[in-house]
Formats: sequence, C-alpha cells, structure tokens
Amino acid sequence: MAILVGIWAAASELAHSSLAPGPVDVGRAIVAGVRDGTLVRALLTTAVRLIIGYVVALALGIPLGTALARSSFVKQSIGPVVLGLSSVPSICWLPLAILWFGLSELAIQLVVVLGAALPIAMATENAVKHVPPSIERAARTMGARGARLMLTVTLPAALPGILGGAKIGWTFALRSLMAGELLFVSGGLGQLLETGRDLGDTSLVLAVVVVIVALGRASEALLFARADREVARRWGVESSA
Amino acid sequence: MTAPGVIVIDGGVLASAKDWLGARAVVSDSPAQRVPSAKGGSAIALEDVSLRLGAPDREVEILRGASLRVAAGELVCLLGPSGSGKSTILNLVAGLARPTSGRVLEGDRPVSGPGPDRAVVFQDAALFPWLRLRDNIEFPLKLQGLRQAARAQRSEELLRLVHLWRFQGRYPHELSGGMRQRGAIARALATDPAVLLMDEPFAALDAQTREILQGEVERIWSATHKTILFVTHNVREAVRLADRVILMGTRPGRILHEEAIDLPRPRAATDERVGVLASGISRRIASEVEKIAREEADDAWMGPGTHGSGDPRRHLGRGI
Repeated sequence: MAILVGIWAAASELAHSSLAPGPVDVGRAIVAGVRDGTLVRALLTTAVRLIIGYVVALALGIPLGTALARSSFVKQSIGPVVLGLSSVPSICWLPLAILWFGLSELAIQLVVVLGAALPIAMATENAVKHVPPSIERAARTMGARGARLMLTVTLPAALPGILGGAKIGWTFALRSLMAGELLFVSGGLGQLLETGRDLGDTSLVLAVVVVIVALGRASEALLFARADREVARRWGVESSA
Repeated sequence: MTAPGVIVIDGGVLASAKDWLGARAVVSDSPAQRVPSAKGGSAIALEDVSLRLGAPDREVEILRGASLRVAAGELVCLLGPSGSGKSTILNLVAGLARPTSGRVLEGDRPVSGPGPDRAVVFQDAALFPWLRLRDNIEFPLKLQGLRQAARAQRSEELLRLVHLWRFQGRYPHELSGGMRQRGAIARALATDPAVLLMDEPFAALDAQTREILQGEVERIWSATHKTILFVTHNVREAVRLADRVILMGTRPGRILHEEAIDLPRPRAATDERVGVLASGISRRIASEVEKIAREEADDAWMGPGTHGSGDPRRHLGRGI
C-alpha cells in the first residue's frame, strides 16, 4: 500500500501536470471537501440511497429467487424475463425511469433496485435449489411445513449461497448508483465526480474515487466480513462468491 | 463371554436411559404425539402397497404389492440391494411418499403425511449445519412449542444418552460421521416418537464405528421400547439388530421373504451365531437373485414376437 502510494507520488511528480495530481493534492482535496461539507454531504446522500435501494433489492430479490426455485409456474412464467433483464446493465433503465418518475429519487432508486435485485434473486434461486433434500425431509418429519419450513429450515440452509448473492448485489447496487448519479444531477458522490470534471479539478475527482473505494471497503468490513466468518464457522466452508 | 469393559458401558447406558425414561413426562403432556394403541399390537402395517412413479407412459414400478406388519416395540430390518424398494417402504411409513395403491397404517389409522410420531434417521444424518448440536436436538421440540427450560432438560438427557454431552456446543461439521449419526438419533428421539425409522444410517461409516453404533441402537431400543424399522443392505447388520429380517428383491422392488432372528440379546458384534445366520441369509439372497434372473430370462423367452424378431431361441448358437 505504502509502496503504491510512493509510486503514485513519484509518477505525478514526473508528469508534473495538473491532470495528474499526487497523493498530497488528493489528500488536500479530501480535507477541503470534509471542511466545507460538500464531500460529507455527497457521501451521506449516496450512502442513504445505497442502503435504501439495497434493502429494497434484498426484500424483492430473496422472495423472487425463492419463488423461482420452488414454483415451476413462477419459473416458467417469469424465469426467462428475469434472465433476460439481468443481462441488461441496470443503468439502461435510467431514461425510462426518468420518463416515468421525473428527476426524482424514485427514478434513481429504480436503477439501483433493478441492478441489485436480479443478481440477488438468481443467487437465491440457485442456493435454494441446492439445499440438500434430506435437510428439508428431516424437517418435514419433525412436523415443519409451509412458511415455517421455508423460514426456519430452507432459507437458513441456503444462507451461504444467499450471502454470496447479497455481496454481488451490493457491488451491483453501488455501480448502478454511481452510474445513475453521474448522469443525473442529484447530489451524491457521482455528481461530485461530475462537478470535478466540470471544474477540471482532477484532485477532486480522485478524492471522490478514494472515498468510493473507502465506502466499498468499509461496507465489506461492516456488512459482510462478520457474516462470512459466521458461515465459515458453521458450515466449515467459505460462502460462494 | 462379553468383556468386562462392555458390561460397564452397558451399565452406563442403561442408567442414563433410565434417567431418560424417568423424564419422559416432560414431553408426554402434549397428547398429539401419543399414538393410539395399535390394534392387534401392530404399530405399522402395509397392506398390498404399490408405488409407481413417472408419467403414465413411462411409469417405473418402485414397489409392488408389499404387505408387512410390524408389532409395537419390534425391531425389524429391511434388507435388500439398491432398487429393492426398502427405502421406499421407509418413506411411505414416514409419510414422505404416498402409495399408488394399497394402504399404509400407523396403528389403525392411515398415514397421511410426515409427523413427529414417526422420526427418521437419514443416511447423511441431515443435521442442520447452521445450528449447534444441542440446538439441532432442540429443533423438533421448538416446533412442538416446548418451553426453553423443558427443551434444555430434554436435550441434555438425549445428549447424555448418546454420549455426546461434551460436544453439545459443536456445529455438525465439527463432528465425526459417527458422532453426527448419534446426534441424528438423539434428535429423532427428541419428540418421543412411537416409531423410529432408520434409513441406512451407518452405511457411510467405517466398520468399527458401525459396530459400536449397532450396539448403541440395540441398547437404546431395549431401553426405550421404540418400534424400529431399520433399512440396510448389510446382511450382518440386519441379523445383529433385527427381531425379524425382511428380505427384499429388485425390479420391481418387493418383499421376497422374511426370517425371524431368534438370538439372545444383547448381541455382540463378534457373536458367531450372527455370522452363521448372516451367511445363511446371504445364500438365500444369492439363490433368490439367481431365481429372479432365470424368471426374467424366461419371461423374455416366453414372449416371442414382442421384439419383432421372432423366437430368440432360434438365434441361439448363431455367430459361434
């Protein structure tokens, strides 16, 4: 890490151009952004959007994936649609979302939710399909049925795979949101990137990138590292993806 | 004849089994799990049961015309090669499968679905990986709405019964195969079922562990008076455990023959009489297999024209 920063500093020194700011310039831009609140406000806007969109995506994706795995009617009717939609980068829905909802939070959330819910649904479908049959049969012989069987046995048994899908969903949500904010004047880190470009302020652009990296790493550590450890301890394996 | 060490272990198991019996009242206050006493003493009965699966034009006959009565408290082994329908019978009794024709009875009422009065021990143990051993054993009790204190007491008795008390906090993947099977047996016993169904529970274990667990099954059985239906393809295992061995054959799966095992208990793994009876049954299986093979061949020969190529006997000797 330190070596990489050193190389970066040396390279920017050699280039000696305002287009290639060094770590010190970027650090200064971050401090300035924190002082005047622009960076903090943008980060908060983005984080709140991300969390809302992601929670909605989980709430839609996990039931959808479960239904795809368990109901041949659902699988045959909307399975191909889900498969088709998931190959469309979710940012492609932004124009339509703007036409539908105007320049609103709803429009940008549609992009985030679509981006994250489909990979979550597909991972959940796969995970539920691969729950060992004997696990569910054992639960049924103990008298578990219906929703209770699903909630207390099938979904916990599918947890390692669902967790893998949740992680993919998170990165998809972040990507979709960044793309959305770049194209869509609405506050948030993506817009701050655009501002940086408009002003020709490469230090600001890189500062925002550093913040996005930090956001990704922090969310990984806060949200998934613990869950990963727990799955590894219980199942004796790593979760997928 | 038995080594003194074995007697000591016996004493321990019986003592803990006695504790366990004494604590039976803990669960018996939920009347749903009490099975009405069986008519004529049969806990399980199959009456001319057949099972066919698949689309009507490509139907596969899994089990044909099986009739069987198991008395309350009896330990019956279903013995046969794979494809003989022995696990199918178990699934039918468990309520995990429904017969195409015939009736499956528990006591005097037909089996309509799975229930905690008929517990199953699966070949792969099927403990829940996300729960500690103790929580696994308490899971069926939780489903029955037992309070935490009662669950804790019950799971402790069961863990002691199967000698896993020390390992209560482990996750299933941290246990050996034999320990997982003991855990599965404890979980199956948790709801105090009238019938215990065991589906090749020791097939994946090494020979030593298998013999130890066979001994445990016999001891738990004699301590709890459960009706046990035990599926195996191992002749020796069947003879060692069973009051009665039901021999099954393949294509289609069916009951061929049954044999009472009149040996004193507890039976040692090394008991020669077990070996003698087992080799007798093995011979019987060999002759059955041969007979069936001959019958199947005869069937084909009796039906010339069905293949459109005339009488196959005429082709004998061709191409020599």
